Amino acid sequence: MRADYITTNIAIAEGAMAAGLMFYAGYPITPASDLFEYLASVLPSRNGVVAQFEDEIASINAVIGASWAGVKAMTATSGPGFSLMVEGLGLAIITEAPLVVVDIMRAGPSTGVPTKATQSDVYQVRFSSHGIYSIPVLVPWSAQEGFDLAVKAFNIAERLRTPVVLLSDAVLAHAWEKVSLRSSEEIQVVNRKKPKNLEEGMFPFKPENDLVPPMPCFGEGFGVKVESLSHDERGWYAPDNETYKKLVWRLVKKIENNMSLIWDSERYFTNDAEYAIVAYGSVARPAYAAVKEFRREGYKFGLYRLKTLWPFNDRDVANSLRKIKKVFVVENNEGKMYREIARSVKSAEVISVPLINLEVPPPEEIEEAVKEWL
Amino acid sequence: MRKEFLAAGRGGQGILILGHVLGLAAAKYTGLYVTGTESYDAETRGGDSRVDLIFTDSQDELDYFKVRSADIALFMYSDQLLKYRRLVGNEAIVFIDSSFHIPELRSSWQVYRVPYTDMAEEKLGTHVVANMIALGHIIRKTGLIDREAVISSIKEVVRKRWVSVDLKAFELGMELDP
Amino acid sequence: MALTRVIAEHPLSKYLVNERLPHAWCPGCGLGITLGAILRAVDRKVREGKIDIKKLVLVSGIGCSARASFYVRFDSAHTIHGRAIPFATGAKLANPSLEVIVFGGDGDIAGIGGNHLIHAARRNMDLLVFMVSNLVYAMTGGQVAPTTPTGLFTTTTPYGNPERPINVVKLVASQNPNYVARASATHPALIEQYTYRALGMEGFRFIEVISMCPEVFGRHIGYNDPVSLYKAIKSKTRVKARPSLDEADYDWNHGWVLGEFIIKNNPGYLRTTGRWRA
Repeated sequence: MRADYITTNIAIAEGAMAAGLMFYAGYPITPASDLFEYLASVLPSRNGVVAQFEDEIASINAVIGASWAGVKAMTATSGPGFSLMVEGLGLAIITEAPLVVVDIMRAGPSTGVPTKATQSDVYQVRFSSHGIYSIPVLVPWSAQEGFDLAVKAFNIAERLRTPVVLLSDAVLAHAWEKVSLRSSEEIQVVNRKKPKNLEEGMFPFKPENDLVPPMPCFGEGFGVKVESLSHDERGWYAPDNETYKKLVWRLVKKIENNMSLIWDSERYFTNDAEYAIVAYGSVARPAYAAVKEFRREGYKFGLYRLKTLWPFNDRDVANSLRKIKKVFVVENNEGKMYREIARSVKSAEVISVPLINLEVPPPEEIEEAVKEWL
Repeated sequence: MRKEFLAAGRGGQGILILGHVLGLAAAKYTGLYVTGTESYDAETRGGDSRVDLIFTDSQDELDYFKVRSADIALFMYSDQLLKYRRLVGNEAIVFIDSSFHIPELRSSWQVYRVPYTDMAEEKLGTHVVANMIALGHIIRKTGLIDREAVISSIKEVVRKRWVSVDLKAFELGMELDP
Repeated sequence: MALTRVIAEHPLSKYLVNERLPHAWCPGCGLGITLGAILRAVDRKVREGKIDIKKLVLVSGIGCSARASFYVRFDSAHTIHGRAIPFATGAKLANPSLEVIVFGGDGDIAGIGGNHLIHAARRNMDLLVFMVSNLVYAMTGGQVAPTTPTGLFTTTTPYGNPERPINVVKLVASQNPNYVARASATHPALIEQYTYRALGMEGFRFIEVISMCPEVFGRHIGYNDPVSLYKAIKSKTRVKARPSLDEADYDWNHGWVLGEFIIKNNPGYLRTTGRWRA
């Protein structure tokens, strides 16, 4: 373990490498380009591949190809690039290709404000592919968590054979912080299940009890069939209702049923709290400062911070907030995750505090907005 | 312990390097936690340049990224002093490059006025190491970070051909006693 | 008494998922002819010990041609429309010991995937790309393609195609890859011959195969049966040994020159980046 002073973008790159990243494909976009540049300078010396493609569409498809060729692969982008990657994301989902997409949120719609942060992609990363599916989305609040959650993202991807989104933003991207970097030997590294014999390898989509199939890859002699159409356990196209239903339910349930592997949240000062702020990502930082300030002023505030956005854990959210009288959902958007919180929490009044601020709302802005509802 | 540090000046005055040296010194060579953010205008010379650093000795004390009430501040130019004085705490220790015109200051501040830029030019033959003189001075007067940690950090951050002159400038700042 | 004699095994059956046959391609379609010719070239390479069938991967996008991925017994991927080339690139870069073939139609490769084609050729990426041109979007019912000749009727150009077709051979050649050839499903031996050569090479290799879609192309322009379209296409093709690029015109009225336009031995992407494995 060694301590360093690095940005969240570099921390994510380091976490990905510690987890076993061997292939990165990308297209330049603010504020993700320096993550790409950093990997371009260091990954080749670790025998990995870094390549710039003609667009984000090519990038994610190359990442899927690399995943099926047996290596851990990643791309990073921002909202506009993610929009282009959505098509490929669907391919990764239906072919159950483990990979990580880092989305560093900027301000949209469209070109918006490229260098500034909002939390506007929290639905995009979850819902933008057509079809029936579920996808894990992790959301760090610090450079240290950029490292930690990059490792976790790869481990989930490999464990559940799924794409995983790591959702950062422009402010976190370029915030420099102390990060404890651990090597591959110092962290838990999960690798995809492999077929134990030829018979298993012939069924690239036949799940075990955990709903996850072992993954045969190219070049291993299984004659693997990677199929974007609805398919049976062999990877053969099957347009019938039974096969389709079975496939998409499994795609959903292998994620939702493995909630404990994915979901994480943190509570601060919630033991005696009457009020709670719910926040995630960069906004949780000023929200934490605001909570401390409220405490100094005598208000019993707590912070409930989401480290995972999707799959949404209704039960943990409801349990964590069950003793709270008023819940304030503070976000740097028009109030997106508020809907999920309000849906889950029946025991308290849930108030949306949408603070759109390109610089991340400072603690004073949060305090002022919350106080209106006290 | 929680200390907020703000440094601002014009682009080209080495503000970002100073911030990086301090941040790395704390993160890598001491047990402190640190968060740093940088902002600068698109043009690299002449525009605004600002570094916010927050040092704590426990992770729990780290919250918001930006300085709200600086305990220590460095202003290398008068424009930035005017612009960011509202972010400086009443009890702050404030370092000001007196090579340039100094606007009115808050009386509660503990102020050091040193012509860092002129001094760099006179004693070391180049104004570009004014930032390191200021850094040495800040370390001397505040004890913010251990001196050896800063020296290690300078050696790591600064380009090779600048290391020796930057270290000289840093030591010059450490010896300042106005 | 059976009227037909059942042969125990098709000569290419070891490369085919026989349980998935017969294939979905229409009678008179050029795709089966093309895939058969390619597999014969593969078989020669395998028998010569030049290709390990375990390392062969066929990547396709979407369209009639993309269904080839269903039928080959070796590794294959049926990906999304236009993206076979980047998918294949990722697989090849991640595991350079793979021999990666892309098999697609003209809409897939030169229409929606056109940009990927250009850049893979520019990189001299170590891939062998087949573009089977049936001059129409067939799977979706016969809409105009970027390769449809000017004036021809399709379901989305009911008054005749007002646009000029793309000359993909010249486009790819402009990026200076290692191999560019044009064949035709009316000349299966040529497909086999070109494939055989290209399979042994590094860098980017591109083979266009002019093909027949009697069902939703031929019928719309007055060729009411597969044979008449086949004859028309065949009459428009001329085979030349090492034709120049100036002869690579794409012209429905004057026909196509078939041949190998570019054969080079420049270092491919993997060799350039120090990852080539023979």
